[in-house]
Amino acid sequence: MTVASDPLLDVENLHTHFRTDEGTVRAVDGASFTVGEGEIVGIVGESGSGKSVTGRSIIGLESPGEIVEGSITFDGTELTDASPATRRRLRGTSISMVFQDPNTTLNPVFTVGEQIQESLKVHADPDRQRLLEYLGVPLFRSRSEWSGYRERAIELMEQVGIADPGDRIDDYPHEFSGGMRQRVMLAIALAAQPDLLIADEPTTALDTTTQAQILERLRELRETFGTAVLLITHDLGVVAETCDRVVVLYGGEVMEAGPTDRVLTEPSHPYTRGLLECLIEADDHGSRLSAIDGLVPDRFGSEPGCPFASRCDHAVDECRTVDPPVVDVGDDRRVACGELDRVRRRTESDDGETTVSGHASREGVVPRLLAFDGDGIDPDTDPHEHPVLELEGVSKTYDTTDSTLERLRSGRQLLRAVDGVDLAVEPGETVGIVGESGSGKSTIVRLLTGLEEPTDGEVRLDGTSVGSVDERTREQLADVGVVFQDARSSINPRLTVAEAIAEPLVEAGWDEDRRERRIEELLELVELAPEYAQRRPHQLSGGQLQRVAIARAIALEPRLLVLDEPVSGLDVSIRAKILNLLADMRDRLGLTTVVISHDLDVVTHLADRVLVTYLGRVVERGPAETLCDRPSHPYTKALYDAIPSVTGSETARALAGEIPSPVNRPGGCAFHTRCPMAEPECEAEDPAVTRVGEARSRCHFAESVAERSTTDSPDSESPDVPNSS
Amino acid sequence: MISTNFLAYRLATALIVLFGVSVLTFGLIYLTPGDPAETVLIQQTDQQPSQEAVDAFRAEHGLNDPIPLQYVDWVAGVFQGDIGQSYYSDRPVSEMIVQHAPATVELAVAAMVVALLIAIPTGVLSAIHRGERLDVACQLGALVGVSMPNFWLGYLLIIVFSLHLGLFPVSGSGGLENLVLPAVALGTGMAAIVTRLVRTAMLEELDRAYVDAVRSKGLGERIVIYKHALRNALIPVVTVVGLQFGFVLNGAVVIEIVFQRPGLGTLLVDAIFARDYPVVQGVVLVTAVAFVLTNLLVDLSYRYLDPRIRLGGVSA
Repeated sequence: MTVASDPLLDVENLHTHFRTDEGTVRAVDGASFTVGEGEIVGIVGESGSGKSVTGRSIIGLESPGEIVEGSITFDGTELTDASPATRRRLRGTSISMVFQDPNTTLNPVFTVGEQIQESLKVHADPDRQRLLEYLGVPLFRSRSEWSGYRERAIELMEQVGIADPGDRIDDYPHEFSGGMRQRVMLAIALAAQPDLLIADEPTTALDTTTQAQILERLRELRETFGTAVLLITHDLGVVAETCDRVVVLYGGEVMEAGPTDRVLTEPSHPYTRGLLECLIEADDHGSRLSAIDGLVPDRFGSEPGCPFASRCDHAVDECRTVDPPVVDVGDDRRVACGELDRVRRRTESDDGETTVSGHASREGVVPRLLAFDGDGIDPDTDPHEHPVLELEGVSKTYDTTDSTLERLRSGRQLLRAVDGVDLAVEPGETVGIVGESGSGKSTIVRLLTGLEEPTDGEVRLDGTSVGSVDERTREQLADVGVVFQDARSSINPRLTVAEAIAEPLVEAGWDEDRRERRIEELLELVELAPEYAQRRPHQLSGGQLQRVAIARAIALEPRLLVLDEPVSGLDVSIRAKILNLLADMRDRLGLTTVVISHDLDVVTHLADRVLVTYLGRVVERGPAETLCDRPSHPYTKALYDAIPSVTGSETARALAGEIPSPVNRPGGCAFHTRCPMAEPECEAEDPAVTRVGEARSRCHFAESVAERSTTDSPDSESPDVPNSS
Repeated sequence: MISTNFLAYRLATALIVLFGVSVLTFGLIYLTPGDPAETVLIQQTDQQPSQEAVDAFRAEHGLNDPIPLQYVDWVAGVFQGDIGQSYYSDRPVSEMIVQHAPATVELAVAAMVVALLIAIPTGVLSAIHRGERLDVACQLGALVGVSMPNFWLGYLLIIVFSLHLGLFPVSGSGGLENLVLPAVALGTGMAAIVTRLVRTAMLEELDRAYVDAVRSKGLGERIVIYKHALRNALIPVVTVVGLQFGFVLNGAVVIEIVFQRPGLGTLLVDAIFARDYPVVQGVVLVTAVAFVLTNLLVDLSYRYLDPRIRLGGVSA
């Protein structure tokens, strides 16, 4: 979409700096780009690239940073020297923002209705804001005026896809799921009827299925109201799904900008290429991922030169001394690189090489054992060797009844977090468990590590039944190493790296000499330099901290390594490095691994075999490739369909609705409420496990789902199976 | 909605607290030297009483019974709504408390109002201007306020505002003019503590992500601060203010003496000097009940202020 007249938003040579005790941080350092009316523009980059600060500078929330140079023109108004009142008025009437984490960006003590109505009031009368009226003091709040806002708020909630808005308007934020909260944020933003919506990582905290729904809303918004969107994200898939144009940011400068399909299919700048190469492709299973060397520096110096030079394979001396020229490469594309010709020549000649090295790494992968659950279906498994880990009919039920009296009045309220899960993990095997939040994944981790005891069924390690942590022997405890979700909160911030890694060793009674040697070994294994031993968690980046968490988990040479969301929240480049490290370690140490993630890409990449869980039950299991190429459960298929693809050949398809509460589990097949191909019998009857090729699926129509998955062309939306919902 | 288990639990703890308080006061009173019979009779007749008179008094008031039995009698009375009679006037203690309580409640509430009127704006201003001169001044003021003993401040206020400026009466009770100085004397200490708390809570809230989200709606800073941030910051403040109420009652005893206000404090102190034990026990019991009740009210209001608690547990 090209705009002949002036663009809606024109950011020109923007510099936003933060003054800290250690000097000036140049968060945005000369970024220029435009957003046309009704255009969706993506800003991508790793964390620390300055993309959020850019967004905040536009809406006027850059404080405590400061715009020191450059201009931001919105609809003809210069924002950098506008009065606070003008900027505030624009926020209420023309520019809105949606933030990353809807769990923290809604005020917990006001109903969502109040928060939407307030925005409507600002929009109606941005210059007259009386505190008593906003506080809801009856005499100051005109009843007829605000009941009009209430009606409108209900309309907005409906528009963003919140079911029963009339009933939910008086609910508080914590009564909504993450995806629904983000919809509420969207409704608040829409209340201002903005011309420009800045969305800062709007889907990063959400499940892929929910992400697809929110992105769909953003596109609709543009279709319906012609709202321009500036979408800030680290996820190139999201950009490919949604944006007309993309701006690649690094070190606060624009590295490359242009139409999305062109930039993503023929990246020019080495940084853009690097970002794209880090992504997991569908046929990447088990192979090594490429990564960009080095880290995003904490802060960029004031010296001239290309900010990416320190990590660039193609950098020459000139890159470090002279600011890179902005080259117009045609098709409305600009690239900030002085060595483009050389980069292009080298990568062209490399192309043949890349394939070769790809093959080489593929061959380097140790062929791993593919085994099946020991429930009699697969006769190939050696009956004498026990699986490392077995779950047999494991269930976990929580009693959520509040009080004794309530129990007498309305009976117990039981939450079935995990419901009859069977699993056998053979030595050397990697099993992945995947599902949306609320599908019972985390409870499974807690059960197999002994942090919870199953209500029913048995957990066995090496054929021996084990109980909770307190009941396990020292050896049994040492046999299971766990990398918990979010290293930042699972490692004691007061300990040094060496102390954190030593914890399990001390617990196991190792003496100091032996511990020190082991720590040295472990640091080398996770590729951290020895000097990191004496650092503390706040001095490490997310990726480095994750390495420490991995070192701690394997310190006692466990037979089983459990990885709970091992790469969530990490940048693509770091994610690729951690995944490579995990794969290497597993192959070198012969580890048996269970990996749990909401990210199907990650699970498919690491695991030999995958279990898909929904509401505490395994709905499909099978070899990773089979599930990926030929899913035989509609839920598995929906999870794959919701992943945004960078190649842009097909749009991510959202899975309708939300995961129901495990307290009120739907009857029959629990998935029937959201299943696109549900039949009456799905509601009535719990499907049995059906074997489809190498996979097993708990679906009445497993065969036909699998067939459709292979023949289905991505664009044929109309299902052959009649839709009863 | 309040869970029934929660209420039952709170009620049980309240009973245990009241039992402990009553046993302690009862025990302490009987450990103090001096025979109430003698003291009371001397006060009444202004001369050394005869042994017969003392014996008669002891028999009449059950003072010859073993102490545990006296306690059981007293508790039995409490459960029948009878907390005893004054040794002097034979008036029921409950009647005396009802007569004196309003003045104390009035003082305590006025002191709380003074404290909050000072603390909330000061704390908020201090937080908004963090690190600036205004903040330093507020913090210094809070330090002075919390370090000043309330009786000393009371005398200071009397000297300045009553004796020199003649703005307020020195002592007495009844009108609003009688209430101002005692309320300020009593409220200042609490104001200082609450100011610091409001400041800390506001700083914490202003750092939260929703504050920027509210700003991005185009709301003015005044509404961002006084509607959104303050409402959240008040949650911990209410807890502390509620707990402070007990200390305000304590302080009221001293302040009532300083300003010679007829209240529970004066009643209690007079009763202690006069060995009028039923009155002492009655006043202590009533104070303890008030303390326990305010604590319960705080917990309930907490559930009202924070919707996440109201509906039972913060959702994940």
